[in-house]
Parts: sequence; C-alpha cells; structure tokens
Amino acid sequence: MAKAYNWQIKREVNYPYEHKRPKKQFAVVMDLNKCIACQTCTVACKTTWTPGRGQEYQLWNNVETKPNGFYPLGWDVKLMELLGNDQVWEGETYKGKTVLDGTEEEPVLGWMPDDLDWTNPNIGEDEVNAPVDVGTVLEKLPHPIWMFYLPRICNHCTFPACVAACPRQAIYKRQEDGIVLIDPERCEGYQECVKACPYKKTMFNFVARISQKCIGCFPRVEQGLQPQCVITCIGKIRLMGFINPPEKAVRSNPIDFLVHIKKVALPLYPQTGLEPNVYYIPPINVPLYFLKQMFGPGAERAVKTYMAMREGKEPELQALLHLFGSTDRIVHSFAVGKNEVIGFNEEGEEIVRVPLYEPFQIRPHKDERLGVVRQDIP
Amino acid sequence: MGLSRRDLLKLGGLSLASMASSSYKLRVFEPVVKVDNPILYYPNRDWETMYRDIFKSEDTFVFLCAPNDTHNCLLRAHVKNGVVTRIEPTFKFHEATDIYGLKASPRWEPRCCNKGLSLMRRFYGDRRVKGPMVRKGFYEWYKAGFPRDPKTGEPPKKYFQRGKDKFIKVTWDEVADIIAKTMINIAETYSGEEGRKRLEAQGYYEKEMIDAMEGAGTRTFKFRGSMPFLAVVRYTSPYRMANLVALLDHHIRGVPPEKAKGGRGWDNYSFHTDLAPGHPMVTGQQNVEFDLCLWEYSKLIILWGMNPFTTKMPDCHWLTEARIKGSKVIVISNDYSPTARSADELIVVRTGTDTALALSIAYVIMKEGLYQEKYVKAWTDMPLLVRMDNGKILRAKDIIPNYKPKPLKKAEVFKKGDRLPPFYKQEKQYIPEDIREKDMNDFVVWDTKTNSPKVITRDDVGDDFWKLGIDPALTGEFTVKTVDGKKVKVKPLFQVYLEFFEENYNPKMAEKITGVPAEKIEKLAREIAKHPRNMKLAQGMGVNQYFHGDLKDRAMYLIVALTDNVGHLTGNIGSYAGNFRLALFNGVGQYFLEDPFNIELDPNKPAKVKRYWKGESAHYYSHDDKPQKMGDHMITGKTHMPTPTKFCWFVDANSILGNAKWKYNIVMNTLPKIECIITNEWWWSLTCEYSDIVLGVDAWNENKYWDIAGSVTNPFIYVWPKTGHRRLYDTKNDAEVFALVGKRLAELTGDKRFADYWKFVLEGRQEVYVQRVINASSNLRGYKLEDIGKKAQEGIPSLIMTRTYPKYVGMDQLVDNHPWYTKSGRLEFYREEPEFIDAGENLPVYREPIDATDYEPNVIVAKPHPLLRPKRPEDYGVDPDEALKNTELRQARNVLVTPVKLPKTKHPLRVSFGATHIVHTPKYRHAAHTTTGDTDITTLLFGPFGDVYRHDKRKPFVSEAYIDINPKDLEKMGIEDGDYVWVDPDPQDRPFEGWQKRKEDYEVARLLLRARASNNTPPGVAKIWFNMYGSSHGSVLGTKVNKNGLAKNPYTGYQSLYRRGSHQSVTRSWHKPTLQTDTLVRKNLAGQVIGKGFAPDVHCLIGAPREAYAKILKAEPGGINGKGVWRPVRLGLRPHKPSVAFANYLKGQWVRFY
Repeated sequence: MAKAYNWQIKREVNYPYEHKRPKKQFAVVMDLNKCIACQTCTVACKTTWTPGRGQEYQLWNNVETKPNGFYPLGWDVKLMELLGNDQVWEGETYKGKTVLDGTEEEPVLGWMPDDLDWTNPNIGEDEVNAPVDVGTVLEKLPHPIWMFYLPRICNHCTFPACVAACPRQAIYKRQEDGIVLIDPERCEGYQECVKACPYKKTMFNFVARISQKCIGCFPRVEQGLQPQCVITCIGKIRLMGFINPPEKAVRSNPIDFLVHIKKVALPLYPQTGLEPNVYYIPPINVPLYFLKQMFGPGAERAVKTYMAMREGKEPELQALLHLFGSTDRIVHSFAVGKNEVIGFNEEGEEIVRVPLYEPFQIRPHKDERLGVVRQDIP
Repeated sequence: MGLSRRDLLKLGGLSLASMASSSYKLRVFEPVVKVDNPILYYPNRDWETMYRDIFKSEDTFVFLCAPNDTHNCLLRAHVKNGVVTRIEPTFKFHEATDIYGLKASPRWEPRCCNKGLSLMRRFYGDRRVKGPMVRKGFYEWYKAGFPRDPKTGEPPKKYFQRGKDKFIKVTWDEVADIIAKTMINIAETYSGEEGRKRLEAQGYYEKEMIDAMEGAGTRTFKFRGSMPFLAVVRYTSPYRMANLVALLDHHIRGVPPEKAKGGRGWDNYSFHTDLAPGHPMVTGQQNVEFDLCLWEYSKLIILWGMNPFTTKMPDCHWLTEARIKGSKVIVISNDYSPTARSADELIVVRTGTDTALALSIAYVIMKEGLYQEKYVKAWTDMPLLVRMDNGKILRAKDIIPNYKPKPLKKAEVFKKGDRLPPFYKQEKQYIPEDIREKDMNDFVVWDTKTNSPKVITRDDVGDDFWKLGIDPALTGEFTVKTVDGKKVKVKPLFQVYLEFFEENYNPKMAEKITGVPAEKIEKLAREIAKHPRNMKLAQGMGVNQYFHGDLKDRAMYLIVALTDNVGHLTGNIGSYAGNFRLALFNGVGQYFLEDPFNIELDPNKPAKVKRYWKGESAHYYSHDDKPQKMGDHMITGKTHMPTPTKFCWFVDANSILGNAKWKYNIVMNTLPKIECIITNEWWWSLTCEYSDIVLGVDAWNENKYWDIAGSVTNPFIYVWPKTGHRRLYDTKNDAEVFALVGKRLAELTGDKRFADYWKFVLEGRQEVYVQRVINASSNLRGYKLEDIGKKAQEGIPSLIMTRTYPKYVGMDQLVDNHPWYTKSGRLEFYREEPEFIDAGENLPVYREPIDATDYEPNVIVAKPHPLLRPKRPEDYGVDPDEALKNTELRQARNVLVTPVKLPKTKHPLRVSFGATHIVHTPKYRHAAHTTTGDTDITTLLFGPFGDVYRHDKRKPFVSEAYIDINPKDLEKMGIEDGDYVWVDPDPQDRPFEGWQKRKEDYEVARLLLRARASNNTPPGVAKIWFNMYGSSHGSVLGTKVNKNGLAKNPYTGYQSLYRRGSHQSVTRSWHKPTLQTDTLVRKNLAGQVIGKGFAPDVHCLIGAPREAYAKILKAEPGGINGKGVWRPVRLGLRPHKPSVAFANYLKGQWVRFY
C-alpha cells in the first residue's frame, strides 16, 4: 500500500498503486446556483453513450435533487454510514476515515447497490427538506426550507477507487488528461468497481456483462471540445477544463481560478479521499450544516465569496461565470475586459468573447429603404 | 460469429439482445498482458477507438424543434447509416444577425433541452402516424353515402364508436376524396332553412348559435392549427382552408362572393388558457412582455406564479446570471416551486388569492405616497374623474353642451369602408368613427392649478400631457354640473381606488384573504416602491390560469403603474404563458386570408386579402358546444357567439382534445354531436385516439419546405430548415394535405379555384406564400427567405427586426408618447362597460376562485360600495343557493362577501361531498405543453416513479403520473407515500356529465394515480403535473388485455401515462362573463386598428382555471404489485419517515468540524 498526498483533505491517503499525477487532469466546475434540473445533460449523455441493451437504467450523468433525491437510492446516506461517526475535520484537514482505508486484500471500503436501488432515478425530484404552508415566507439566505439540484458525472478521481478495486487491472487513468476508463475487453464483470466507487458512478451492463462508466467524452476532449453534458447545459452551470494541483495553480486557468484562487468550487464529499475532480459552487440557499457535510469546510468561504460577488466585490469571478456554456471548446485561459470576459484555447488564441449584458440595440422606427414602419406592438 | 466484444458494444441496441443467449461464451480467459500500475501506464488502449467510432457521425443536418414552448431551437442531428443517432445544439445562435448588422452574443448558447435531444425516440418511435388513417366506422359511413336521419340529419350512431373503433390505412387520393365529400355533405346538410330545421330538430343548440351561422353550413366547420406562430404556412393552412370554404358555400347555397361564408377558425393562445386576459383590459392590446434575456437589466425581479425553471428552461440562465450581477429575485407562488430554489425570497400565497395580495401592495404604495406621481398622472386612468351617480367615467360631453371630440393627432379616425394601409405601413392607430364618438370621447380631470375640470384627449399622454399646463388632482371629491343641469359628485379614480382598497384590502384584510403576513405585504410594497423603472414583474401561467386572471392583471398592473415599471428596458411587466403575438408576423393574412374568389397566381405579387372565415373561441366547443346563460339571460356577447360544431380539422393539436380541460366531457358528450374530426399529426396523440381521420404528416426531422417560426420570449426568427432527411413513412407536409383536398374539391365541383388556391403548394413551392408573409410583415420585410433559410440550415437563426434588440413592449409609449390602445390612451384599471358593472368588476376587486377554494367560491370579496352594483342571481331569476352549488350558474353568481366574513364561509363540496383539496395542474420540465411526455428516456425521469424495467406491472409505462400531497394531509387521510389514490372532483359535472349512468366510460375517466408525500405543497393543496398523456378507452383496454400490463392501446399503439383517467379528469371549461363582452375596446390581434368586443387570442374566453376542488381516497398500496408500502418508504429513505442514518444526513450530522 503506497501513500499519496490528497490536497483536498490536506493529508496523505493510502493507495494500492504508486501514484503520479497525470500530465493534465480533466475537471469540471458546476455552479449549483444555476442548475435548473432540466436533465438535458442526462439525456445528452444517455443518447450519446448508453442507448443500448443492458444500459437502459444507466445514467452516467444524472441530476438528483438534494436532500431527498438519489441515484442509486440512498447512495450518499450509505456513504455516510460507511465512513461512520468519525468524519472529523480539523480546520481544513480531514482526520476521519476515507474509503481508501481498506485492507491489502480489499483496499477500498464499499457497498453493492441492490438492483432495485437503480429504479426511481429521479426520486425526490424538487422536494424540499421541510414542509411549507400558506403564508410561508423565506426572506433570508440561506433558507430554512431548501433543496438544490446536484448533477453528477464520474469524478475522474485523482485516486480512483474503481482502479484500486479492479481485480483485473482493467481500469486505468489516462496520463494525457486524467480521464478514467474501463477497458471493455479486459473487464470480466466482477463488479468490484461498482462496489468500490463511493459515488456509484460505475454501472454493470448485464447484457454485455461488463462494467461501464462515464468516459469524460474523451473523443471530444481529444479534439479540444468540452463534453456532451457541458455543451448541452442550458443552465450554463458547467465549465470543463484542466486543473492543476494547488501549488501549480495558474490564475488565468479558469478551473484553477475557481478552485484554487477564489476557492468557490469544491469537491463532492472530499472525505472519500479520492480527490474527485468535479468541483461544485455550493448553492447559497442551503444552510451550511448540509453544505459542509457534502463539500467540506470550504463551503463557508465559498458561499461568502459568492455573496460578495453578487454585491459587485468580485468582478473577475462575476465575469468568469458568464463564460460558462458560451463556447463548446475547452477554455484554457481567460481574461476579463470591460463588461466582457474572453476565453482562449491552449495555443492562447481567442475563442470566445462574452458580454456581461446582452447588448441593447435600436432599429429605425420608420425605414424608408425597406418601406416599413415598426411598432413594439405590431 | 466472429464478433469481438468491442464489435458487439459498437453495435449497441438490437445486436446485444443476441448476446444474452447461451452462445455468448466470452468470459473465460485470464488476462494475458499484465498491468503493473494502471495509474501510470496502460498497455493496450486500441479499444478506445470504439468510443471514437461511436461518436463519429457520417452526416449531420439541422432541424427546427418547435413545440409550443416559446423557444424554438435549431438542433443538429447526427446521422449514421441514415438514422439519427443523437441530437446536439448547433452552437451557432451567436452568429445570428439582421439586415442592419445587429448581432446576438454567445450568451445565447446553447439552445436545446431534454425533450429536443431525445426526439429520435419519437422520430423512430412506434407511435408515428404512418400515413392517412381512417376510423373503420367512419369509412363505412362514407362508403354508405353518408346516410342520415331524415328529420334531424344526424348520422346513425353505429358509425360513430370513436375511441373503441379500429383504424384502417387508405391512400392519400382516397382520403382526399373522403374529406372533400364529407365537407360537401355536411355543408349541404346544414345550409339554408332545411339546415336550420335539422339543427333545431336535434334539440340541442341555442337559437343564437344557429342564427350565428347566417344560413351557411360551412359555418359549422371549425379549423384549428396549433400555434400558427410556429409555422406560418404549415400551421395556418387550416385557416386558409377556412377562408376557401366560402367558395364551397358559394357553390352550395348559390350566393354571390360577397355573401359567401367561410368556416370558423378557433383560437390558440386563449384556448390554451395562456392569455392573460387583463392585459387587453389595461393596455387595450394583447399583452406586454419583454424578451427574457432582459431580466438582467433590472435590480429587482418578481416571478409571480411563474416557474421558469420548468417552463422557460433555455432562458433561465438569464435569470441566474442576473443574480450573479446582484439582481434580487422574489418568487410568489402557491407552493415551493422549482424556481424558488434560485430565489432570494419566496412568498407562499393561498391559491388563487394573488389578486388580493397585489391590491394590498398597491394600497400600501398609494397610502404611503410611494408612487411615481408624474407617471401616474400622465399614463394612467387614476386622475380621470368617475361619476359617483352612474359609475361611468366622466366625459367632456357630460359637462359641455354639444361637445365635439377634439381632432386626434396620434390616431386616424376612419369611416366604415375606408381603405387602410397595410399593417406594415400603418404609422398611427386607426379608430373607427363610431368608437371615437361613443367610447373614446374625451375625458375630464380636475386641474388643481385652476381648481376646475379640464378636458383631455387620448393624445394627452406622457410628455404631451404636461404640455397642457395642468396638474390633475389624484385625491378629493368634486362636483360638476352636467349638461342636463344635474350636480354630480365625481372623484379621481386614484381616490376611489385608495378608499376602496383601504376598506377591503389593507394588509390586515389581505392577510386574512391570502395568508401572507401583513407586515410582509408592507415590506414587499416598500421594496417594490424603491425600484421605480428598475423592476421586472413576470407573470406566469400559475396566475394567468386563474378564473379571475383578468382581475389579477388589473391588480398587478396597478403595482407596476404606480412604480413606473411599464415599458422600460429596465422596468417592465410581462406575462409568460404560451407563444402569442402572431402579430410579430403581421403579414400572415397574405396566406390565411387570401381571397379565394380572386386568387393571385403570380408568385411575385402579393395576395389580395379578404376575410371570409370568422374567429371563434374553442372554449364553447369544450363547454359542450354551448354559450353561457344565466337563467334566460345570454351572457355570451354577440361578437363571441359560437355556431354549432359539425366538422373539425385540427393540425398539431393535442391541446384541442387530448389534453383539453374537461377532456372526458368532450369525449363522452360533445364529440357525439360532431360528425367529422380530422387531425394532422406525426405522433399518435390522445386527440388521434378520438378522431375519424388521422393524417400522418412529416416529423420535424423530415421537413421539406422552408417555413418560419417566431417567439415571444426571444428575439429570433427561425426558418424551418429543409433537412434533406428522408421520410420514414407515407407522410406529407400539412399544407400539402390541405392542397390535396382542395384539388379533389376542384374535381368534384368543377371549379378549379379550389385547386388554384393551393397552386404553389401543389407545385412544391409553398415558400412563395412564406415570402409573401415576410414582405407584408413589419418586422420581417427586407428578408429574403432563401438567405435566412440557408443560414437556418447551418444552425443560425436570424433576428426579428422589431424596434429593439432584444425586444420589449413599451418604447412606442414611453419614448414616443404614443397612447396605449385603450379608450383613454392610458393604462386603465377602471372598467365602465355594462358587462363589468353587472359582474361587480368595474372596480379592481378580488374574487374567490371559481372552484378551487375552501371558502365560498367566486364571491366578490368586498364590502358594499356605491360603485359596486353587481347583478345578483335574483336579478337573473336564479335562486342564489342553486347558483352557488351549480357550477354552470356559479360562473355568473355575483355576490359580495366581506373579507372578515370570508374565512367563515364554506365551499359547498366541503359540506356535501367531503372534498378537501385544491388540485392544480401546472406544467413541468419533462414535456413541452401538450406535446406530452411519453418517450422512454424523458418519461423515466419524470417524477419519482420511473422504472425502466417496470417491476410493478400496474405501472402504465416506464413512469407514471402522481399527485403531490402534503405529508401531514396524507397521514390524516391514511394514505402512505407512494400509494395509488382516486381523485374525485365535483360529481355534478366531472369527469363528465352523466358519468353515473355510464360505467364503462367512467372507468376510463375516473382519475387513479400515485400519491407522493411532498413538503413543497401546503396542506390542502395538491398538484398533478400537466404534461402526461391521459387514458383513452384503448389504453384502459390495454391495461386489461396486454400481458405486460402497459396502458397501451392494442390497436393504435397509443400509450397513456395514467392507468385510469388523467389530470384533466378534475378540470372543466369555465366561462367568465367579463371575457365575453361586446364592449371592450382593444386593438385587433394584428395591425394598428382598434375594435371592440371579441378578438381571438385577445379578448375572449380562456377556460380557466386549471384547478379544482376534490376529494382524495386511497386506492391501492404502493409496494411492488400492491404488496406493502413503496420500497423507498420501507427503507427509511423518504423524508417524513427517515431512518436514523437518513435523519442524521438531513441534519448534516455525520460530519464534525474542529
């Protein structure tokens, strides 16, 4: 069992393989304040990658309502039970159990979902934590009555549990982009990865009898394009890019800026120890007690920064959030201009220029050339 | 088979089925290659090509996705082996431009949604309409030569077993013959005196309805295209056919062209209950709105009864991005809506009482002097004087002998028969002489400078008002001497409103009515008042679709008028339900009003326009083909009067039948009176289930001709691309179908004009008609269809050339000082017309909901007031108690109840029937409008009961309908989360009248669905989402005969998402008297001409509400196949009965911080 440093929990974790970070690490930031649970991402993923037999139930990308939604049923309640009562953070250091605290023989702590747990994939849709009544008034953030939407894909973890658990070494992490893949030719369908992944993002194809999972849309990423779930996100909550470890953070890299510089985007259940690479901007309507359980102690600062941004105190952050969803290409760096934000590709060429307000423009009321008179109310 | 596993995976879908067989023996080997460290290096990655291959497409094409959701997305389909495998946004909206060089930004990307991206499940779905289909019984009626009862003219019942019959596929030529002959036969049957006698002998229709036919059998023809705004040729072709049948009338009755009558065209926006009916009352025209991208220009955004997170999905980012920049969002709703989670504030109001809340907010702003005085005086009716003796607005002619109205500079007064310029050249408003004389005659304010009455005209608005040098009083009481020598007390309307609201809707009173704490009302009012010209108030269908939706508008407009938030870029009001404003394509008459007696066959010339068809509200049809009466008094105005319905032709129209309010009453009671129902569709809807002829038309991916679509929420014009994608079945374009019938009519009558009318369609050049529309539309003229069509094929829309980009309503007024289209040119809150006085709604009042309330329904909640003079039931000769219980009479029951007394009253069903719940049916994210959710992928995610493998065989499909009920209520009723329940509304008329004696039909219509314990809905309020396909006779049969239990019609393939009934089992079509006046002055739908009374989609019935008062009973346990409770409940993973672990999770107690 080797040791590796996990910056998200500021400590070492056990890992069965000697570990080296990939050259680039795939990462997605999702602003949960903007998610509308439209499920367009889910459908885009489903129609692109999992329309086949044995995959009917598979949603490599899903969106669930928190706190009452799960896919599969109860997955993160079970995760909490698995990690138990000693999930303790001291400052920003996590002292409790991670899923990598297994044995030599079974290096990952996991659980196997029941077949029926995969049914009701949108259970809890829109449901809030506590009942409303006529006359209910919520006027101060966070709200005592709340819910939010949590879109989930594979986290393409830095220390993937699925890789650690696979008895056939059929799962690997690509050095060029950090995407984690299951080799369908080598996989024998033992489902150890299904059991091991605490996020339950590996799934068994019972017709092909192999495990399958989100592939980070690598055929797109290889072409400099963002994944299907990102480019179809009409809530414009997602930005895919590459993240550096904190000590190598680059301010103009939008992912680094959000995760490391502004620290508004946080990993999901960092206490798994896997260093997951989807980063969430926590929803400001939700009380911290829940956000901290889910996103760790950084939630408090993230919410404060977001609120300050709304008051105009974080102009760069404010501008950057307008870049989300405005291009289908991978943005490697960004710059903020006057009332606009500009995105650049890996070569530093401009790929998109986004105004912070949609420009307002006027046409002639009466146009002799076209022989037309216009009214607002035609 | 030498297939590797990679090959098998690549094939996906069907081929994998064979792998499940025993011949599949691949799993035997140990790995040959050893992998040392899969984090550092993986040896054989060749297999990755598999996913690259899956992702590669051989070809792509762009198509337009245009359900009735107001967005219209150009989408890119990816094709492999000639089959669409996936769909993506085009990411080219930022390239959209106009001929001035204006440009959209990348902020618009991406445009798509969950429904659009799963459309291939429909394109290749098993419910495609595969060609022309005729119901067997109907076919036999046609073959038998249309036999009829000699006296009544009715066809024998044996031919009309709709919903239970099979369909047969015929050829297009034969179906054209069937339709043409049916049209001739029905028109002949009901024309002239003999026709009248037959209709009278049927003993059903009101005399006024038969009179309204003016002797023409063609007037019993009803045509409807769903939302013409979505395709000006494809979807308006039925209206063109309605104009053409005047030619048929000419032949049948032998009348000259000027006396020939076309068919009737049914409304769209207002039939969908989307019209905010008070907008025309306040502004004199259809609606005020702004493109939703303008949200971010305002600091305060109120979403009132609007839930954009599920209904305006591609535009929600403008809202969340506005928040990023600091805008505050307040949601006012009757529940915790999905949008509430992105709100800064949520206010939960008692269902249906939003009007009282709005009036109370207005009151606080008035009382505390927080209003924008200059705006109020120059732009609203509040300084106008009202006569306290007769409730009429004081006119100059009342106090000045022989007063002649002043000449108007801002409008042209015209005489009947005057020729007016085409819409796109109309620079002013056009007012008929009699309206100017009678209705718009000049008004009077009290000038505080001279302390005397002063005459103002409708030109005197905005800046021009101040040029008069007067300063009108808003408060006080004055006496004027009228020309007949009387002294009459008058008050400025501001004073009247203030006093009236003080008495009835002050915050304390409003708290009693709405449940919203008084202090919150005050706080909210003050906050709104702090945002003059900087607040957007967006109304959604939640409030639009109340019975008293008009009163709600009048109240909400008060708020925005008092705070100068109408018509600014940064401050405005907008109503958002449906896709209205066909007027943005105001040249559309070039197509649907071309004169069939004088057809323009030169493609380069404009058509000669002459209207022969007449608009009609389809809410009379859905009200069992009846107008509204109170006792012997006809409430329905003459301008609204329907004719008997005998022949219907629908295009893209699940809303008109399948998902109409009171659907089961239409099916069981109204349809038997109709002799032919034709539906053009590409997806077998519930409307198809009950049609006689279903005409399979091209799916969106198969579109062959350029057509144009517009939107009321975004600034684009969309051309339907020619996809080049093959037709999968024997289908045609909608216009082609009409043209075929026209051709057959030409053959049968020997008059080739029937065919010439469709000349360019028959020649495959229907774009000629589209270009004519473009040339005659103020916001399109200048565009060449070919140019913008080619762009659309690349995925680029074009900009609609309204005055501004993005567009909003109100610049004409606020910048150019044009009057509104009302009598006074101002925003009007008072309504002096007799229908309003009779209803007790001349003042802006609050009335209880018509059905969905615990209290006495439909009462006017106000103390007696000298200006409130409602006609009581007794005045109509109706017993007041009977009028309360009887839903039909209740609609015109005008009774006052004070706010204090209101909570002590009871809904009659609470007493007699044990009803406990308001059940409302709003729209959701998993389906668009009545293009209902029913494909596997989208349905699976529709709510909590999705199970793609259907472990529970009771499940009608891979998911199913459910009703959200507060957990406390469920506990009281002994119902467990996930159980099946019956929902029963008022038994006197629902699910359909006479159900007590029709057991088999009742089984189809009575609503059965799952219950979900939902914290989001207050006690006493239950919710069923609108967008699921309901039961038909065939789907109910399917649940019994299909081995897998699917609620699928074994004959037609129709798939229901309910085992029994539907959400429309609880609704009915309701008629509100003030929406049927002959006196309301308003602009016509298109152009600048002002008229009076009925105007389709502007002033007519809306059929609201979409909610009811109902009883809920447990039916079956929720466990799989009825065993025990629903599994998630059993496992402790539902919030009201959580396991210890889940309870800790909900409280965030698993983690500790030091």
